[in-house]
Amino acid sequence: MILVTLAIAAGTMLVMAVILSYILGWANKTFKVEVDPKIESVLEILPGVNCGGCGYLGCSDYAVAVVTDNVPVNKCTVGGKACAASVAEIMGVEVGEMIPIRAIVHCGATISQRLQTTQYRGEKRCAAAHLVAGVQGCTFGCLGFGDCVRACNYDAIHIIEGLAVVDYKKCVGCGACSKVCPRKIITIASFNEDQIPTVACSNQDKAKDAKAVCTTACVACKACSKISDIFTITDNLSKCDYDTYTAQHYEDAVKSMEKCPTNCIHFIGKPAD
Amino acid sequence: MMYLLDILLISLTAALINNFVLYYFVGICPFVGVSRKVEMAFGMGCAVTFVISIAALISWSITTMVLIPGAPLSSFIAGFFLPEQAAAKIDLTVLSYIVYIFAIASSVQFVEMYVRKYFPMLYGSFGVFLPLITTNCAILFACLTIMSHVTGVDNPADAWDLGRAIALAFFGGVGFTIAIVIMSGIREELELCDVPEPFQGAAITLVIGGILAIAFMGFTGVDSGIRAALMPSVTEQVSTMIPPRPDVLAILDLSSQVRQP
Repeated sequence: MILVTLAIAAGTMLVMAVILSYILGWANKTFKVEVDPKIESVLEILPGVNCGGCGYLGCSDYAVAVVTDNVPVNKCTVGGKACAASVAEIMGVEVGEMIPIRAIVHCGATISQRLQTTQYRGEKRCAAAHLVAGVQGCTFGCLGFGDCVRACNYDAIHIIEGLAVVDYKKCVGCGACSKVCPRKIITIASFNEDQIPTVACSNQDKAKDAKAVCTTACVACKACSKISDIFTITDNLSKCDYDTYTAQHYEDAVKSMEKCPTNCIHFIGKPAD
Repeated sequence: MMYLLDILLISLTAALINNFVLYYFVGICPFVGVSRKVEMAFGMGCAVTFVISIAALISWSITTMVLIPGAPLSSFIAGFFLPEQAAAKIDLTVLSYIVYIFAIASSVQFVEMYVRKYFPMLYGSFGVFLPLITTNCAILFACLTIMSHVTGVDNPADAWDLGRAIALAFFGGVGFTIAIVIMSGIREELELCDVPEPFQGAAITLVIGGILAIAFMGFTGVDSGIRAALMPSVTEQVSTMIPPRPDVLAILDLSSQVRQP
């Protein structure tokens, strides 16, 4: 009895499988959509991580855009130059100049350098801690609970002494960290050189207030902007213009860095080999 | 006449009174996910209606032909190996879920290919939600409801036939379409509203879904009203079927006599 039941059960599934797969196979042939073979070959070259760094929903979306809308082939930050070159070969176009983009954390204060007002005992997430005033003195800087670390698919950002630090050997510039940062201190910028200067501070308070909560805050003293024109002061905060920075500005930038009274200008980027 | 009335009531119940989305709250995933634009919502509703009907057709056939104890096909095959009485007892209802999912998944695949070929724009806007019909609980819910009306009845004559099953499934799909189109209409207007930040997105959608469900509660009792209006009166039937019992009348007479001295 049991054996017969089992056999009939198995037979039922088998017959259903055969019939339905036959129907689906027929439908697959009948309703076949002609896809441009270029799309498939472009898709094969793309890394397939669907990070969205190119600004499209995923790799397949970008592949369709490249083939049908003549979107530039160098938008994939993960694949880099090699990927762009092979996609360009398929599409028969020239690769434009490709400047790598990477994440930059605009805060340089480790946990000992910034004023701790109260001990935060809530959910250990930046998004949660950001909702509460008074977690730490600085209301602009890094919270250090690592939302960006969890968002990163490349293990390229870590919390070191309570501060998010980008590992430029691994960062591909997909922008996942900058999207989750509740304080918007991580931005994606183009790296014209391997090493670029940055003002590691986001504090827009007046110098006195900024100094009260952090020993390495930008106090908008204009020392850097007087030396080099790649630094500009807006909203009590010095900003480096990453787009115009080239090797020519290197000397001035180093001088600015040495002159900065709170040492909040750093050179970041891939360490020289 | 009775049969048509039954079909009418089943359809009405599935589409409006016990609306799948707004009464049972099944199929919420596409209800929230694909209700941004009316055209998309209508396309989704049509796809679900089609899939639900096909799935009901397949699942009803397999349930009655193979799965339930004493089903013709399974007892026929078992009859070669077993005595007749044992063959009629073969019960394969354990297979129901896997068979239904099988049927649903295949019909969704079919719809996906069809939509991809003939409505590429719709295919693009559906995105991941089209394959997700596979896991749309409204469809499995319809299949399971049909199964409960086929296997869970005491009297075999009460078991649903194919017409009732398809009516439930098709009009369940129509009810889903009605709900999702109403929802998308509201959400299109909602784009222009100033929604408080914590309510934006899925939250306000679920709130609206709840209010819609309360509105659809207004249909409660419509089915019994229609049944009362269209069916020959129950009391009349009883009075014609059971002749008055003389002994009861005699007792009544007697008691009246006792009370009146």
